[in-house]
Amino acid sequence: MKKENGNGKVGAVLVVGGGIGGIQAALDLAESGYYVYLVEKSPSIGGVMAQLDKTFPTNDCSMCILSPKLVEAGRHLNIQLITNAELEEVSGQEGCFKVKILQRPRYIDVSKCTGCGLCAQSDVSNLKEREEEIWVDRILIDEAKCVQCGECALACREENKENHAMTNVSLERRKLTELLPEQQEGKGRETLSQRVSLMDEESRKKFWQAELSRCIKCFGCRDVCPVWIYDGSELDDAEWIKPGEIPPSVPLFQVIRAYRVANLCVNCGMCEEACGMDIPLRTIHQLMWRQSPESIFEVIPGIDEKTKRRLIKRVKERPLIRPELRK
Amino acid sequence: MNSDFVLTVCPFCGCGCQLYLQVMDGQVTGVVPCKTDEMSEGKPCIKGRNAADFINHPDRLKSPLIKQSGKFEPISWEEALDIVAKRLIVTKEKYGPDSIGILSSAKCTNEENFVVMKFARTVIGTNNIDHCARLCHAPTVVGLAKAFGSGAMTNSVPEIEHADCIFVIGSNTTEQHPLVSLRVMRAKEKGAKLIVADPRRTPLVDFADIYLPHKPGTDAALLNGLMHIITREGLEDRDFIRERTEGFEALEKKLKEYPPEKVCQITGVSKALLEKAAKAYGRAERGSILYGMGITQHTTGTENVLCIANLAMLTGNVGREFTGVNPLRGQNNVQGACDMGALPNVFSGYQPVVDSKARDKFEKAWGTKLSPTPGLRATEMTEAAIDRAVRAMYIVGENPALSDADINHVKKSLSSLDFLVVQDIFLSEVAEFAHVVLPACSFAEKEGTFTATDRRVQRVRKAMEPVGDSKPDWVIVSELAKRMGATDFSYASSREIMEEIVSLTPIYAGISYERLDKGEIVSWPCPSKDHPGTRFLHKDAFTRGKGQFLVVDFKEPAELPDAEYPFILTTGRLMFQFHTGTMTRRIPRLERELPTGYVEINPKDAKKLSISQGDMVKVQSRRGEIRIRALVTEEILPGVVFIPFHFAECAANVLTSRYLDPEAKIAELKVCAVKICKE
Repeated sequence: MKKENGNGKVGAVLVVGGGIGGIQAALDLAESGYYVYLVEKSPSIGGVMAQLDKTFPTNDCSMCILSPKLVEAGRHLNIQLITNAELEEVSGQEGCFKVKILQRPRYIDVSKCTGCGLCAQSDVSNLKEREEEIWVDRILIDEAKCVQCGECALACREENKENHAMTNVSLERRKLTELLPEQQEGKGRETLSQRVSLMDEESRKKFWQAELSRCIKCFGCRDVCPVWIYDGSELDDAEWIKPGEIPPSVPLFQVIRAYRVANLCVNCGMCEEACGMDIPLRTIHQLMWRQSPESIFEVIPGIDEKTKRRLIKRVKERPLIRPELRK
Repeated sequence: MNSDFVLTVCPFCGCGCQLYLQVMDGQVTGVVPCKTDEMSEGKPCIKGRNAADFINHPDRLKSPLIKQSGKFEPISWEEALDIVAKRLIVTKEKYGPDSIGILSSAKCTNEENFVVMKFARTVIGTNNIDHCARLCHAPTVVGLAKAFGSGAMTNSVPEIEHADCIFVIGSNTTEQHPLVSLRVMRAKEKGAKLIVADPRRTPLVDFADIYLPHKPGTDAALLNGLMHIITREGLEDRDFIRERTEGFEALEKKLKEYPPEKVCQITGVSKALLEKAAKAYGRAERGSILYGMGITQHTTGTENVLCIANLAMLTGNVGREFTGVNPLRGQNNVQGACDMGALPNVFSGYQPVVDSKARDKFEKAWGTKLSPTPGLRATEMTEAAIDRAVRAMYIVGENPALSDADINHVKKSLSSLDFLVVQDIFLSEVAEFAHVVLPACSFAEKEGTFTATDRRVQRVRKAMEPVGDSKPDWVIVSELAKRMGATDFSYASSREIMEEIVSLTPIYAGISYERLDKGEIVSWPCPSKDHPGTRFLHKDAFTRGKGQFLVVDFKEPAELPDAEYPFILTTGRLMFQFHTGTMTRRIPRLERELPTGYVEINPKDAKKLSISQGDMVKVQSRRGEIRIRALVTEEILPGVVFIPFHFAECAANVLTSRYLDPEAKIAELKVCAVKICKE
């Protein structure tokens, strides 16, 4: 298909949004002979419909409608998918638009990826149970969630030594952790969450022990938390945390706080900013991000089974605010 | 609805964190940390975060009170001030001006301290003015003035972050100055060595590279021992000693008498630890010493301070950035109250009253004759009241009935006064003894300045109208002065007082509200308007010229344990309460954390006395006894017990002794002999 006519007009169309509407429009346009650029913000097309079971009013299976269209859009010679990208600017006039698109990095070369899926299964840090909440997938490493441990890139290399698809960035970072401090000079720095995620249980326990014994119980981390809605929690309960003790029960105090907000945490980092003792609280939430709240017991190990069960039970019983304890 | 945020300074410890007070419809409703504040970086401790909670407490004094047949009755301001003025005039005429004692307050602003000081010296005509520095860092003011010429923290708090060796002695920094301990932690993160010397295993000890658990009251021996090792190893800074100091030879000779064997015997610290600590501090390039009440609250307080000054000068760790001798002042404005001359021997800016030049200056400015003899110190006033030499007292925002040593004695002294006026925001323990109580404003209801521990002068701003009929302290004192015939107390605002301070006090000469309101961080000495302030003192020369080494011999504490009273009692503060708890015990969150006191006792001692965790015990000294709950903990050495002094119901100061340091007249609050028995 010719994208440009002799008269300066362009025979190509830009479709913004890769949900079912955008896909259908793109397919129709492509079939009628236009070249289509389909821009989608998320890493893959499909949108909300891909998440639904049935569709109104026919009660048809939504994937049965959507998936053939996904495949078609993906393979159509007249459609170019631009995913993980956003429209930044439009100029020009009808017949000859100029657009500026921001393409975000995936850290994965899609053309090389064989779809083996080993990256997603790689044991990123020693944290288990992440089947549902993965932050690395065949199509993207999510920057916001990645702790740069490098496990996924290693898995990819192992599978496909010559032609691996995953970026080297996190792998290079990982190599840094094995270098001596003086060798690290000028090579970027190992991140704290990377370091903690690569620790074994014993050293992680020690690490948090050292960090959390600095706590002076100012309640700053809790007071500034935008999602802390639970008043009169275990932190104020003498049965859980003994009043007047400095530092407050290590690591239980921090485990309770992080557990209470795990589902709601927006990773804003205010807790760390407010901490009068510079305890890296944000790292806890980076490591727990999008995982089940119970992952806190692995992020900060050292809580005995009994207390763990007691806490889980307690939170189930009193999930939200207790009005009688409000001031 | 009107809402506003007012930037002001935290009213608790000497760190001087700036905070925003949140104001809704004219009422202070909360505290918002200030992220741009250099000191707190938006990370105040639990006390600062809850600083707003006592302001509107129902217990606040709302009108003047007069005691009639043992009960307080409210009266009007007019009547109250007339009575106070009349009684003070009568006392002055009958027994002379020196029969009146005045206590100013480290909780009040600089301006208020200045006005109280001026009131005492001009209207009453006495130098009997003092404040609670007498109970904390009076030895520092005396000792460091002798050694360096200036009795204040030499370096600023943020500098601690860059030290490469930090020596903390007699300070529970984490609990008492949390924002200073943050700096210590950061320095540690950067690889600094941390040495902690304390008879209690304070939270900071967990992070220390070297921990020296010396017996209470053996600080001078410990410090001399460290200096012995430093000179033996040749780690002293010879150039610094030659060029900047004097009197080293005598010290060198004296240090020979403190070999590690002897010091080990006195202090109970092993030789290996002494060697390690001395070498670590001696080899440091940027060694910083932090100390607190553990050094000063002794009969040898001044000498202990001199030892610290010696140690710093010996190694050349003073007069440079990131080093220094850093006394951590306990109250938000105790530094300022000292600077303003609320002391019996100096005018504002440490200008001695015995110096005729200084006196001339103040006499000219105030147009009245001033007394050339230094007055009574707070601890001496107590005695003088019992001897009937002091007949009336005017106490502004202090609570000696709980904070002073041997409070049974203090109470006896207070009740033997003919007339006692107490000016406070709550009816404190001392106010119970008053004949007239005047209601003052809290920090949120007035304008002024506080001076933090590292000499930083900061603005306090008014966030709400005074509660009830209360008035700012400077207004009350000015009105009283006018009633007593003074003419130059007609200040329209605290700004005018500051202008007077600036004109009379060389170290504050360059400070003005305009500069502070622009957000400038000004630490005194600031001699002129274009001077940026001084972050660290004694840069090229000491304030007194050359640094003075003074020889100090170890002396035992005044009261040692014996067969009858076998334990050493040491007292102190805790994280969640502040001093006598007048404010903090009215803050629900703090009160929840620490509702009452306890006595810390080592498990070994507890076993001997068959005391178990949480038992009620009776602690007795030669002066009194209290009932208190036991806390069995490894954090304290065997033979030593610790009681926090915040709590009136189990007041540690019932037990403490009133043996005084001969120079600074501070009581030995850190060591006395007690016995313990199970109830």
